[in-house]
Amino acid sequence: MSEGQHGAGEGQRGDEAMARAGVCRLLARVFSNKPSAELVEGLREARMLEVLASLGVDFDQGFISGDAAGEAESLGIEYTRLFVGPGEHIAPHESVFVRGQAESEPRLWGEATAAVAEFYREAGLEVDTAGEIPDHIGIELEAMAELAAAEAERHERGETAEAETLWGLQQRFAWEHLARWLPDFGRAVAEQAQSSFYRGMALLVGGLAELYEDE
Amino acid sequence: MQMISRRDFLKLGAASTAVLAIESQFGAIAHAAEQLVEGGRSVNRTSGLPRSFLPSTCTQCPAGCGIIGYVEESRLVKIGGNTKHISNQGALCARGQAGINALYDPNRILKPLKRAGSRGSGEWTEISWEEALTEVSGRIGGIANRNEFVMLTDDLGRDDLARRFTWALGSGNALEGTGVYNANKLVATQLTWGRAGDMPDVSSSKYILSFGANPMENHTEFVGFVRRLVDGMQDNQAKVVVFDVRLTNTSAKSNELYYTAPGTYGLLALSMAQVIMQEGLYDATFIDRWTNVSAADLTRHLAQYTPERAEAETGVSASVIRRIAAEFATTKPATTLTDSMASSYSNGVQAERAVMLLNIITGNVDTRGGYCLPREYTLAEPAPAPAYPGATVLSNPPANPLASQQVISRTMEAIQKREQNVGVLMSHRYNIAYSNPDLGTVQDVLKDETLVPFHVAVTPYETETAIYADIILPEATYLEDWDIEVRPSPEQVPFVSLRQPVVPALKESKTFFDITRELANRIGGSVAQYFAFKRVDDYLKGRIAGIGGLVGAGGIDYLKQHGVWYEPTSRPDYGSYASTGFATPSGRIEVYSSRMAQHGYDPLPSYEAIAGLGNLHENDMVLTIFDTAAQFDSRTGNCMWLNEIEHNNPVWMNPETAHALGIEEGDHIKLTRKDGEAKIRSLESTAYLTEGIHPKVVAMANGVGHTAYGAIAQGEKIPYDDPEIPVELRDPNTKLVWWEHHGFNPGHGVNAKQIVPALVDPVGGGQAWGEVVVTVAKI
Repeated sequence: MSEGQHGAGEGQRGDEAMARAGVCRLLARVFSNKPSAELVEGLREARMLEVLASLGVDFDQGFISGDAAGEAESLGIEYTRLFVGPGEHIAPHESVFVRGQAESEPRLWGEATAAVAEFYREAGLEVDTAGEIPDHIGIELEAMAELAAAEAERHERGETAEAETLWGLQQRFAWEHLARWLPDFGRAVAEQAQSSFYRGMALLVGGLAELYEDE
Repeated sequence: MQMISRRDFLKLGAASTAVLAIESQFGAIAHAAEQLVEGGRSVNRTSGLPRSFLPSTCTQCPAGCGIIGYVEESRLVKIGGNTKHISNQGALCARGQAGINALYDPNRILKPLKRAGSRGSGEWTEISWEEALTEVSGRIGGIANRNEFVMLTDDLGRDDLARRFTWALGSGNALEGTGVYNANKLVATQLTWGRAGDMPDVSSSKYILSFGANPMENHTEFVGFVRRLVDGMQDNQAKVVVFDVRLTNTSAKSNELYYTAPGTYGLLALSMAQVIMQEGLYDATFIDRWTNVSAADLTRHLAQYTPERAEAETGVSASVIRRIAAEFATTKPATTLTDSMASSYSNGVQAERAVMLLNIITGNVDTRGGYCLPREYTLAEPAPAPAYPGATVLSNPPANPLASQQVISRTMEAIQKREQNVGVLMSHRYNIAYSNPDLGTVQDVLKDETLVPFHVAVTPYETETAIYADIILPEATYLEDWDIEVRPSPEQVPFVSLRQPVVPALKESKTFFDITRELANRIGGSVAQYFAFKRVDDYLKGRIAGIGGLVGAGGIDYLKQHGVWYEPTSRPDYGSYASTGFATPSGRIEVYSSRMAQHGYDPLPSYEAIAGLGNLHENDMVLTIFDTAAQFDSRTGNCMWLNEIEHNNPVWMNPETAHALGIEEGDHIKLTRKDGEAKIRSLESTAYLTEGIHPKVVAMANGVGHTAYGAIAQGEKIPYDDPEIPVELRDPNTKLVWWEHHGFNPGHGVNAKQIVPALVDPVGGGQAWGEVVVTVAKI
């Protein structure tokens, strides 16, 4: 049990869980779809830029002051090149980055995917798999966001034991999954991204797993 | 990567909540298809309605995959794969997902119907269950001779209640449709290694040789088998070599494909066996210890089947035959695939045995990655079990003494010739007037009230067979039904699967369990005792009583929760024959079949050319009927989503052949059968020109061309607000059927089987689908 978790009061720990949910939702959003003009506008608000700068993320001037719709459109083209194709692209799936024990090389729908699906089941997360593979970065992070939001709710209701269980589940998933591939994924995106936006988001996603370490 | 401050990270989280809140108003939410909810609940993301879900077992094809039914407000909204199921492992094909269309087919029958016009007129009047059961039980009770009750189902091994009911009545005429599917294969394997069927262990193979098999579109264990085949091809880099008359989804993914003349698979396999023996590439120890022939005798027997002889008949060059034979023999583990295709000819049993021989002489029998025995549990017959009433001329035709899977192709002809009198015909599951060959005769017999005085169809739909019924009892669909299912395991670890209602039976429809129980109780006497179950659970418990591990794990209650059970620590017991021997008279693999010898058939794997296929006239073509991934014979005929994928079946022709006949792509053409007895001799369709077919073969897809089975099966749209359609069955999409007039031939295709005569392998009794010679002409 970490001091950070136990030292804080219920309210503070609930806020922390909410914030964790927020980070996961933001990154899930960023890596599962093209940015919208609203997202661009939201991210370049002064308060946001300040927080991002403290995390080492600096957007270039085009992103900060350009036409939001135009920025979103050009980032959409980069998103497609980076994550969709045609041609070589980065498949944002854990099993593409993590080789299973019985696998000669990593592959889509591999052992890691099965482990992720099993985790969702154990954690009581019902994923309607229509269309997407369970270890897509967007789904993994949404799952983590759901668990964090549920944890916050438990804190609010004073159900500390349940909240602790949910935090434990997040830590386990972070150690067994996020930490095993997001740093490599982040590096791959940073190497191939041309925009300050995706380079910055790559930095954040690469460091995300650290958020789950005991203080 | 630099360390990121945890505190700053959390600040980002707090700030981003606001950003995402704004954005979501514009609907740009990540993963529209996904909805994650804490606590094991599933929620519809558009309506917010809670969803419940239950595991069950599919019947859209024989594979019996584990499914999950998702239900919102008592309505099934989605079918998915059960990840716990050892066979399909969570994957589910199009047919399985479209089961929802079978449940909510707007033309589904939900009340008992009694015929109002002449047989086949399609005029019905609604009656109550009370009236229906009284009439049916009265008719059955009034039968003069017990064998005059005839039950017609698709597979007796899987429709236990149909067999139990028939035997309880003392009738030996529980008949099944296996003969039109894979009877020849089942008989060949039974005779040779004492078990009906096989299960190539493809996920661990290094070399896979296919004789006409096309598992990627159709296989008895479809999804479960294909997953493992792809594992073998990808992870294990298995080489796949296919011999076929046609470019299939499977052969398209193979390393090598050779067009092979129809009906010559047996010769091809024997010539490879000849090479393997001649070159000394065989497994001498295995042949000596586990077969009933000597290597020397076998080599002598095979000497006649030289690659040069095979080249002349099969069209595959002798050098290719030699090379592939050597590769197969020296690349271990290796296996063969036939599914039902190699044996769909009148020399089918021997063809299957010839292919088996390749595995046998190379020692690839029941090894990891080799050609394995089927591993499946045996279910018990709940006590008291009705006694076997004995053989009849229909269940065991004297002309085919080894046809243990019956001879369904000839059943209607035998009734027409009054070899068996019929008092009551009960049709269940098997749509004989669609799935059999020689459909003209089938229709004549079903129409004739002197031959079939009373026909009760137990079915949810007005099928081609049910249309000739006197009474239709509206059966529940498989999604509202109970059953225990066992299948040969593609994982080589046997399992038990449960079918349970994911929704209650709609309106007045009833499960077959309830129908047979109520009929048995009305018939009374000695019959009722076999159906004295208080609840369906009591019957199901009796079925699994012999499987100790499952009973210990919780039995039916365990299955209701998980859908499937297998020994959790079980591993494939390859080579278990070493301690038990093979289940043949000699305890060995009978390359020399003593039972075939007994009945005057050639006891060694051998080849006989099919008469009429050897010297085809310039305008003669051989018709092949093939299965696709979107339909399964008659079973899926009314599923809208599947019909949208596959609704018609133009005739595949090689352009070279077509041009010689003056036929161009899309031309309206007529296929006329050259000879053989069958009422209907020709059909009309359109030409589809493709290099993907042997120049002397024409091919048509199975599963379409319905002439009954409701509007969807016949390519017609249904208005959503049709007052005739019960509210429960309305689906706004049924008005969107767009293929009514798609293509030249009827938008919903043509049933090619109508021009195929009833022609069987005399040994196996299974239909010879692939050897009908037709002439093709432009019209």
